[in-house]
Amino acid sequence: MFEAISLRTLLILIPALPLSGAILTAIFGPAILRRQSHWPTVLGLAASCICSLMLAVKWQGQLPQDGKAGQGVEEVVTLWEWVGIPQAYAPSPATGLAAIAATENHAPLDFRIDVSLRIDTLTATMLVMVTLISTLVAVYSVGYMHGDEGYWRFFSYLSLFVFSMTMLVTVSNFVMLYVFWEGVGVCSYLLIGFWYRNPAAAAAGKKAFLVNRVGDFGFALALFLMWMTYGSLSFHDTDTVAGVLGARRFAGELSFVGGGVGTAICLLLMAGACGKSAQFPLHVWLPDAMEGPTPVSALIHAATMVTAGVYMIARCMPLFVAAPQAAWVVAWIGAGTALMAGLIALTQFDLKRVLAYSTVSQLGYMFLALGMATLGGVTAGMFHLFTHAFFKALLFLGAGSVMHAMGNVIDMRRFGGLRHRLPITHATFAIGCLALAGIFPLSGFWSKDAILAAVHDQAHATGASSYRVLYGMAMGTAFLTAFYTFRAFFMTFYGPQRIPEEAGHHAHESPKVMWIPLVVLALFAALVGPMLEWTHAFAHWLQYTPSLAMMAQAAGATGAPAAFHWDVAVTSTAVAVAGVALAAFLYLGHRREVAALQYVFRFGWMNPSEAPSDWESASPHAAAVANVTRPGGHPTVTGHCPSDHPSGSHGHEHGPGLLALPARLLKAVGCGLWSLLTLPLWLGQFVSPYQMSHSKFFVDEIYDVLIVGPLRGLAHISYVLDRVLVDGLVNGVGGLPVRLGGWLRKSQRGFVSLYGLLTVVGMVLVVVVSFWWGV
Amino acid sequence: MARLLLQTLALPFLAALLMPIVARLGDRAVRAWTLLVTLVTLTLTVSLCRGYLQESPGTDGFAVSDVAWLSSHATEMPLVADGATGPGTAIWDIRFHVGLDGLGLWLFALAPVLMLTSILVSWEAIQDRPAWFYGMLLLLQGGCLGVFAARDLILFYVFFEFTLLPLFFLIGIWGSEQREYAATKFFLYTLAGSLFTFLGLLAIVLWHYQQVGVLTFSIPALTAGLTEHPIAPFGLQLAIFLALFAGFAIKVPLFPLHTWLPLAHVQAPTAGSIFLAGVLLKIGTYGFLRFSVPMLPDATAACAPALLWLSVIGILYGALVALAQTDIKRLIAYSSVSHLGFCMLGLFALNRIGSSGSVLQMVNHGISTGALFALVGMLYERYHTREISAWGGLARRLPVLSCFMFLFTFSSIGLPLLNGFAGELLVLVGMFQRAWQGQLAEPFTQLKWIAVLSVVGVVLGAWYMLWLVQRVFFGPLREPHGIHGVPVRDLNWREIAALVPLAVLAFWIGIYPQLFLRPIQPAVDALTHEAQGRWEAVDRPPLADRQAFLLRRSR
Repeated sequence: MFEAISLRTLLILIPALPLSGAILTAIFGPAILRRQSHWPTVLGLAASCICSLMLAVKWQGQLPQDGKAGQGVEEVVTLWEWVGIPQAYAPSPATGLAAIAATENHAPLDFRIDVSLRIDTLTATMLVMVTLISTLVAVYSVGYMHGDEGYWRFFSYLSLFVFSMTMLVTVSNFVMLYVFWEGVGVCSYLLIGFWYRNPAAAAAGKKAFLVNRVGDFGFALALFLMWMTYGSLSFHDTDTVAGVLGARRFAGELSFVGGGVGTAICLLLMAGACGKSAQFPLHVWLPDAMEGPTPVSALIHAATMVTAGVYMIARCMPLFVAAPQAAWVVAWIGAGTALMAGLIALTQFDLKRVLAYSTVSQLGYMFLALGMATLGGVTAGMFHLFTHAFFKALLFLGAGSVMHAMGNVIDMRRFGGLRHRLPITHATFAIGCLALAGIFPLSGFWSKDAILAAVHDQAHATGASSYRVLYGMAMGTAFLTAFYTFRAFFMTFYGPQRIPEEAGHHAHESPKVMWIPLVVLALFAALVGPMLEWTHAFAHWLQYTPSLAMMAQAAGATGAPAAFHWDVAVTSTAVAVAGVALAAFLYLGHRREVAALQYVFRFGWMNPSEAPSDWESASPHAAAVANVTRPGGHPTVTGHCPSDHPSGSHGHEHGPGLLALPARLLKAVGCGLWSLLTLPLWLGQFVSPYQMSHSKFFVDEIYDVLIVGPLRGLAHISYVLDRVLVDGLVNGVGGLPVRLGGWLRKSQRGFVSLYGLLTVVGMVLVVVVSFWWGV
Repeated sequence: MARLLLQTLALPFLAALLMPIVARLGDRAVRAWTLLVTLVTLTLTVSLCRGYLQESPGTDGFAVSDVAWLSSHATEMPLVADGATGPGTAIWDIRFHVGLDGLGLWLFALAPVLMLTSILVSWEAIQDRPAWFYGMLLLLQGGCLGVFAARDLILFYVFFEFTLLPLFFLIGIWGSEQREYAATKFFLYTLAGSLFTFLGLLAIVLWHYQQVGVLTFSIPALTAGLTEHPIAPFGLQLAIFLALFAGFAIKVPLFPLHTWLPLAHVQAPTAGSIFLAGVLLKIGTYGFLRFSVPMLPDATAACAPALLWLSVIGILYGALVALAQTDIKRLIAYSSVSHLGFCMLGLFALNRIGSSGSVLQMVNHGISTGALFALVGMLYERYHTREISAWGGLARRLPVLSCFMFLFTFSSIGLPLLNGFAGELLVLVGMFQRAWQGQLAEPFTQLKWIAVLSVVGVVLGAWYMLWLVQRVFFGPLREPHGIHGVPVRDLNWREIAALVPLAVLAFWIGIYPQLFLRPIQPAVDALTHEAQGRWEAVDRPPLADRQAFLLRRSR
């Protein structure tokens, strides 16, 4: 049925349809389509999605059927020559780089950048994921953005983003990758600042762009070094030049560069990835990016654009294999970011920010997997990318649905118990939470488990203790993930029903156009993981990507990805359940968080305006809270649970919730855990880990003090210097003739004796000088 | 084609001469006449460009006309003792010699495009003696066209100096508050520099005369002659290089010779700013590439590191100072300093990628900065202020203007698929290639520092431009009172027409830069070939050795 359409046509159509959607919306949106402006976008994206699926199916048919590992399959379609400078670079023999193919007669290499599209399994995977989720998000946005004055603008930007993103994963050249890398960045900038009249949104857009530019600084340097080292910037081989990731290199004809230069290239690439994928230390933009409309957060800042860094590193994996130190850095950045973001997410009250930090944390997970630089690691990372896209988009859209009902209030302290008001959102959000927490058998469980297994394998294979630490960090993050996810879930949907006054008459389930995408995404979030994992389809499919095939070849693997480890699976499940249990203890029924925190810290440090008692005071439990914090009280912590009133704790439950049956058991476990955890917290009350987490470890403030402030200062000093010194010098020189003239005029006063004297002096001078020079 | 070029060159001057007659018909006629002439010039230029792309001539030049203007023939008395000249050889030879090559082609074509924008922008803004104003603009355009088409040294210099006069009057008469000071400073500063340049050029001619025996002013002949007989004592070559540098570097402007630029820009009328940024500054870089680099290759190779330092300091310094500005026009003026730093950086990277990218970047800067000045002019016309803090949230009040502003901001900060990116990429790749060639794994040398620092400029560039956009166009609406208290209107069709050609070019160059690079690359290659060879022949010794080398050369 697809034979009629060639791969080439499909490859061109996939980005072209969203682009034409964007252009049509921009032309006809403001005056003609108005409230119907979503049609070009929705239709274009849907068609693009269909094309992607057709492409994937077609490509599946073209893969070698014997299933042997280590066979990379790719096809490249060249559209036009973007830049071509012939014979631009003559690598000197002294460099002695085996990485550059010797051309005939050792002619200098051409600097040639083509606009070329490629298809391999990695690209096909990304294309399917991107177009599928963007179509669903576009449909959802029809409801969410309804009535917004920038309706057409929103859909135009959205389409433009999908064009850039599909191009980003399709192009076959580092320069073009950079082009669309920045392209998605600018779409993100436009969409974060979509409500530009809100100064916070405008500032967040700029911040996102600039932080990304810092990362791109590294990416650009990597690109230049790569040109110097490999003499090419394309992924594939062309007729004359061997590409960086081309077949000739995979065949062992040419080497990959390791050592200092290779490591530098990889680390600089990682810097670029850190910017786009919000990894430490460039993660600061993503939480602020939540100022954008929620569908944008779901599509760009959770599912697609932020995974571009992961895609790029996966694509460049052979370079990292050649530079193991760089891979090690990737793993540590990933694990560190995962843990850090997980810790920050624990204490945020903004539902979207919790999800944003969760995204940062999960991306860290993916980088951790990539940092293993093994086939199992990369496939696990990509698998997590794929499943995470579905359940995180689902969670964000769910949060959007809550915002929609709550009149754009997103502070979890101001609403609660919404499960009766928003039943569909509640159910789908629950599936998303379970998937994110990694509860069997939802998608997240499988992909998270694959990552943990990859780290576990690497720890065993190398015996290095550093990998064991990484494994521990990953497990810790799994616990945090389960905890903060369900903290948000319980705070939003359980407890006494509270609705802010902004909600007005909106506090009901979202319209059909919004909840249908939620249900579809929930189905994917539940099913994609187990279906792909049980058949091992994903790992097999991905192995045909040239970059990864080479790894399979090198590893001598016969196509088997990391085996399923029962011990890892059981541990991670136990950890996740423990996280859920703790969340249930603190937030289900009575919200014990405040009481508990007060119990530990006695609020000596807490800013009253930030005090969570704001929201707790609205609950009937406030009296108990006040009781605990009575002045002069010196409670001891360990050994018993603070303010645990078993008889009262279920009194405020409104009917059987989703977790009503196992709740009692969970709470019992949670209570025990709480007792254990409070001891170090109590000991650390003076450094106040809660405050550290709540303030996001002060990274923004540190940047302000160390970078932004000094640069601004330098700018002002430069300007002052420019006016006083540089321009002053010029004016001084310019004024010199006038002053000289004035000085000379003084000598012309008509004193004949002075003239005579000067004449004599001059003559003497002439004579002396002539003798001196021997003229 | 030669006739076409002559017509294009003559048209603005003729139109300016006829201006007193047209002026009798009233101001509307003056505007219409200027617009008509410019449209014709533009059409002619477009057909010249098309012809160039179709014929793709080599480095010999295109549409060349060569008429003796003032030349005599030696019959008996050869002026050189060894008798290198024979009878019949022209020994005194100033010619009207014009033509286009890949270096000048796009800069030549840029002038009428920016002229069109300038006219449409000034349409209502200039009510004071419009006949004179448009006459000056036409003369300015004619001068700019002549500079890039001249193939004779004297002709070049005449046009080079001639561009100063109309701009002097444009700033001095139609400028803002400090217009006299700005005009005088601009005029004296650039004139002082170009007098040195003139001396340098004369020295080149005389050296050629001494060696070859022909007193020619033809640029191709001089280039060829000096390639064969390089100026011998290195000290002399260096001195001539510095003399040329004085004029060209002020024109660019290279740090620290830039202080006239922000002043001139802020005080100039919009059209003057557009021309100044778009075309006049490029004469400096063009001069370096046309004269200094091919004719003085040894000195170029020796001075290149110093010039690269000045360029990169200019990039960072311009960006930082732009960050501190409160006046929108001055901010963009300082951004010009930064951008021209990129042009100089690519130029003196002295390899194919860098130097071609530099020429492309000259065109790009003309387009994006020209458009930004036009937009600032439109804002000024509406609010009569240039203070950034006076505005806020204008995206709501002026959506179309904001849309163009975003586009050219993105173009200016080098966003991919717009023109700025291709040029910046090539410049930086060229610089990296220069810095890392043959010594990949070695520790940082000065060139590597220059290369890395220049990329920092890209980050800073995004900062000040996006911050500007954020302050002026985002946030809650804040605006000074419009003129006569009437609420301001968004762009009208005339203003949109002024910007659309530039927007089209921005996209065109961004999406298909190869079309524009194809003529540039061979021409630039021919010009930089010698100097590149000189630099690489030394094989880049460390700094101490380099100084020893300089000393050795100078003896």
